[in-house]
Amino acid sequence: MKRSLLAPAAVMLSFGGAQADTGAVLTTYADIAQATFEDSLTTAQALQQAVAALVAAPSDAALENARLAWKAARVPYQQSEVFRFGNAIVDDWEGKVNAWPLDEGLIDYVDEGTYVGPTDENEYAALNVVANPVFQLGGAQVDATQITPALLETALQEADGIETNVATGYHAIEFMLWGQDLNGTGPGAGARPWTDYASGEACTNGNCDRRAAYLVAATDLLVSDLAWMVAQWQPGGAARAAATEGGLSTILTGMGSLSYGELAGERMRLGLLLNDPEEEQDCFSDNTHNSHFYDGVGIRNVYVGAYTRVDGSVVSGPSLADLVAATDATLNAELVGKLDTTVAALGEMKAAADAGFAYDQMLGRGDARGEALIMAGVNGLVDQTKSIERVVAALGLDQLEIEGSDSLDAPGKVAE
Amino acid sequence: MLKPLLTAVLITLPFAGWAEQASSEAEKAVHQQILPGFAALAAASARMSDAAATDCAPTSQPLRTAWNAAFDDWIKVSHLRFGPTETENRAFALAYWPDSRGTTPKTLKRLIAERDPIITSPDGMESVSVAARGFYAMEYVLFDPAFQGDAGYACALTRALSADIAAKTAGIARDWRDSYAALMMTPGSTYSPYQTPAEVTQELYKALATGLEFTSDARLNRPLGSFDKPRPGRAEARLSGRSQRHVVLSLQALKQLAVILSEGDQALQDDVSQAFDTAISQAEALDDPIFAGVEDPQKRLKIEILQQTVKLIREQQLANIGNKLGVAAGFNALDGD
Repeated sequence: MKRSLLAPAAVMLSFGGAQADTGAVLTTYADIAQATFEDSLTTAQALQQAVAALVAAPSDAALENARLAWKAARVPYQQSEVFRFGNAIVDDWEGKVNAWPLDEGLIDYVDEGTYVGPTDENEYAALNVVANPVFQLGGAQVDATQITPALLETALQEADGIETNVATGYHAIEFMLWGQDLNGTGPGAGARPWTDYASGEACTNGNCDRRAAYLVAATDLLVSDLAWMVAQWQPGGAARAAATEGGLSTILTGMGSLSYGELAGERMRLGLLLNDPEEEQDCFSDNTHNSHFYDGVGIRNVYVGAYTRVDGSVVSGPSLADLVAATDATLNAELVGKLDTTVAALGEMKAAADAGFAYDQMLGRGDARGEALIMAGVNGLVDQTKSIERVVAALGLDQLEIEGSDSLDAPGKVAE
Repeated sequence: MLKPLLTAVLITLPFAGWAEQASSEAEKAVHQQILPGFAALAAASARMSDAAATDCAPTSQPLRTAWNAAFDDWIKVSHLRFGPTETENRAFALAYWPDSRGTTPKTLKRLIAERDPIITSPDGMESVSVAARGFYAMEYVLFDPAFQGDAGYACALTRALSADIAAKTAGIARDWRDSYAALMMTPGSTYSPYQTPAEVTQELYKALATGLEFTSDARLNRPLGSFDKPRPGRAEARLSGRSQRHVVLSLQALKQLAVILSEGDQALQDDVSQAFDTAISQAEALDDPIFAGVEDPQKRLKIEILQQTVKLIREQQLANIGNKLGVAAGFNALDGD
């Protein structure tokens, strides 16, 4: 019915005159992807240097520097999440760098009183690689006397086929820098002492050299993984080529899937409904408010065709917004308005958290103020998804969406 | 909640000249599946709550029978996750599953250990984690002795959980009956969340797609795991022996919706009907109530064949229905990782 009324986007555009064409829009999209991943790489390299300094001369200040570098690295990376879902190359790779939630006892010591330990779901949830140079895993003996990027990547990541065995990426590094947050929904983040990296007698919690080796290996791996992704978006890169071929539905699939199922659903609403402080994405560092905020910014970036880099410069060009405006100006205004509303709502949540009301406190049972802050973001994301679907329909992308959407064909489960 | 809106809609409608009529498929889906389905769920849940008030013992046969009947009625409508089920997070409070991190038993254990009095008032229940509410939480209390040690608290919990389920399902049924059905039938009217008839049709199409995805990925794939590492412990509602039953019930309900959405194209409708019948008879023939057979190569094969049949419905029938309706799958709550 509807499709017979709608000409394909390309045909409609020929009536539109001088505005953006699909190819130029996709080029802007790929340019933003390239810049976002490049910024993710350079900020991860800064983290790598801060980690090297910490390991070379452990101190409270060196640990704090590394933590600040980690937080700075999250800013561009979270804005890259909108490139998942629509781009198979990004989606297939993403688990290496940003998998969550994790059973952190796989990696290092945990609080014996509150940590659940090995479970039916994951018998390696308390493996503690830092403390055990040799161990059995899935019926085979693993030699972990040398902790290397290869060991993390091949033997430990998703060990035994369990997704929560996360050995690599931002959240593994986050755990190494902060340790467990044992404050529940009360104030305070993880409080790993810098002496966990001290040498000789000053070393706390044992195996400081192995812990340092783990942190270095995980950070090196993050840098090399990001470098690989940057290459995919260069002119001639595979991700750039695939995105150009995939068309506009690539952009919209990423926007809609991140808005709805992933961010509004799994990451925000679910945590609130469970009142569970472990249901916050950056649970060790209490940085979740920033991660959510920059996800929201990233969704808007790809629609309006502009990304502000970490050095303050702006990458911009012909945008999907221009294209929609030429077809249906009201719909474009509707979506731009909703994207702004969402970013503003997430900004309110971020401001409250920056002022000391941490995200895990917002999740507390019966905390009406926290619930209102989080739900304003959720409602904005859900609302903008409806308009994203309208854009899909208005551009006549229906069939592409059914056939070409990775997230619809092979999604995970909402509560995992 | 929505009642004042309905009045407003009825007043507004004559003036809202741009309101349109939803498709005949949507009208049928609402009147043949949605309204009767949620009315049945609300009635069965009220009976369950009454049974718990009469006898809260976990071994009480009337209570278990009533719980099973209400759970059946939930599974039959559990794919209809939009509008009234999402208001006040009602569906989350009815059904938190899959629970890959064991949050339900963990939260229940804490309530029981602390003899937390929060459960004794409806307002208090409202603020309890959804992991410790609804049909799946109640299953632990009724069927796992580890949650029955403190008989007094277990009784209070059973009554609180069933009353909460009754209140939530009554709210869903009421909103559908009093307002949402009318709003769905009049896209473009002032208070309708839908701008066009196509958006209404798409909502129902998405419900079908999401329901199939959930049965395939959560109900079947989770316990299947991999051949080397099957995961029978992940089967849905296995404490009460309902895993296989849920697959059958959900496929039957999804078939009804798929056939309605295929209306007007006889060949398509026949294909859809036949494909679902194959899946349903495969599911019924499993004779494996909790999918323990995922560890037995012979029985596992049969579950895998069913899984393939459902996959085929998703790849072929679903796409054909979408083509016929002229709508896309859009985004659903299962997107993401």
